[in-house]
Amino acid sequence: MRRKTKERLFFLLFRGCALVVGLALLIIVGYIVFLGIGTLSWEFLTQFPKQRFTEGGIFPAIMGTLYLMALVMIIAVPIGVFTAVYISEYQGSSRFAGWLRVVVNNLAGVPSIVYGLLGLGMLVIFFGWGFSLIASAMTLAFLVLPLIITASREAIQAVPSSLREASLALGTTKWQTIRHHVLPYSLPGILTGVILSLSRAAGETAPILLTGVVLTKSILPQDIWDTFMAMPFQLYALATQTVFEKTKDFQYGTALVLLIMVVLMNLAAIIIRNRYREKYKW
Amino acid sequence: MADEIFVSGLNVWFDKNQALKNVNITIPKNEITAIIGPSGCGKSTFIRCINRMNDLVQKCRIEGKIEVDGKNIYDPDVDVVEIRKRIGMVFQKPNPFPKSIFENIAYAPRIHGKEEPTMDLTKEPKHSKFSKKEVVELVEWSLRRAALWEEVKDRMEKSAYDLSGGQQQRLCIARTLAVKPEIILFDEPCSALDPIATAKIEDLLVDLKKDFTVVIVTHNMQQAARVADKTAFFYLGELIEFGETEGIFENPMQKLTEQYITGRMG
Repeated sequence: MRRKTKERLFFLLFRGCALVVGLALLIIVGYIVFLGIGTLSWEFLTQFPKQRFTEGGIFPAIMGTLYLMALVMIIAVPIGVFTAVYISEYQGSSRFAGWLRVVVNNLAGVPSIVYGLLGLGMLVIFFGWGFSLIASAMTLAFLVLPLIITASREAIQAVPSSLREASLALGTTKWQTIRHHVLPYSLPGILTGVILSLSRAAGETAPILLTGVVLTKSILPQDIWDTFMAMPFQLYALATQTVFEKTKDFQYGTALVLLIMVVLMNLAAIIIRNRYREKYKW
Repeated sequence: MADEIFVSGLNVWFDKNQALKNVNITIPKNEITAIIGPSGCGKSTFIRCINRMNDLVQKCRIEGKIEVDGKNIYDPDVDVVEIRKRIGMVFQKPNPFPKSIFENIAYAPRIHGKEEPTMDLTKEPKHSKFSKKEVVELVEWSLRRAALWEEVKDRMEKSAYDLSGGQQQRLCIARTLAVKPEIILFDEPCSALDPIATAKIEDLLVDLKKDFTVVIVTHNMQQAARVADKTAFFYLGELIEFGETEGIFENPMQKLTEQYITGRMG
């Protein structure tokens, strides 16, 4: 009898914890949607802000965030994926690879504000890139690199070694085996990691705050050396540096758009993963 | 009959463990040579030395010579990729690519292209691309040769994973044949298959020896007795006995061999 009571007790505890998590998510999302949905309109998505963020829209912030994502992807994806290939395919268990693994794992734990400081000191000032889209994108690329490398490495290592052997035994070179088999089979996993990393980067505020984002700008960034607006920073600035009540709609509208963007990206990642899981099973 | 593979003084270490000890063996052309022995005796290690698959294993050190057509495949000027084109391998577990049946076989010929015949292992031979028609013909030829054509000819675009285990293994054999190797190594090809699928593969092996030199590692002594012309018995990394299959099974010279084939060991 005592055993059964214990069983019931712990089951209740587990269920309770799960419930709290589910509820927390529901409350956060519900709150943002409830307060932000009224602001959402075509105008809000396509116009520049007017009257100190009380009218108009968040078009430049959306575009700024998209530009940033595109640049981060261009910089971080090739470097991340190739590093992962190098670690897992060429350096199996060498000392350098082991060291690299430790470095990557630790980089993932560095707080984002520290990356921001690095971007400011090294890219903006020392390299003389100035406050710019490229400085921010590079800083965010540093931030997501460990995530991309880890996700890619896991995807690559999930490809069974029997398939590598099959290919090599046919007289292909190592590179052909990687190019024709390892990378295509691990692509869904890599893609999932990339999208999740980008959605993480999309929401980061601290790194861009120190390297290139501005609150207002009357035009879209003209090139990668230009400053830019971005949703997370706009949210931060409006919430802390203006009269809260006056820009409330704008804040919740921005938060909702950012949330929708991140959710869509994560959804895409899930869809890709499920679709390819069907295609490549061994 | 001519000798195909000539192994002398082969020693293999994995880190500090010696897996093969001074193996000397001469494998004849166009015959089936079976490698038998208890688990861990080095039979897989041995066969994987012949197409240099052990190169992939870290901390694996190999000493000695393996000559194919009079050329030591471990000479520094030999291109390992060329070795593996000429010496194909079929693995223990069927390992088709997650692609269509057709693509599984067409892959290697497309990569390699047509090769101008050469005996010079040190140089990369000249290549020209196969035409689409040639690839289709080569795929059919390979599948027929692997006794799989009739079963798959109507569903070439289906995934290789829709096939049964035995069919997958024959697909892997067809894939190896498409490269047109001279030697084919089989590393326990039937250990994951049921008896009917095993019988099909065994028939195929006997058929293949007309055109190829076949080396097969097997833990199944009956299989060796059924298909092999010559049999080698390995024990604890050493080649204990090698000779005509009949002789090995009916009149073994070594006590260890006798103990193993009568089931008193291993």
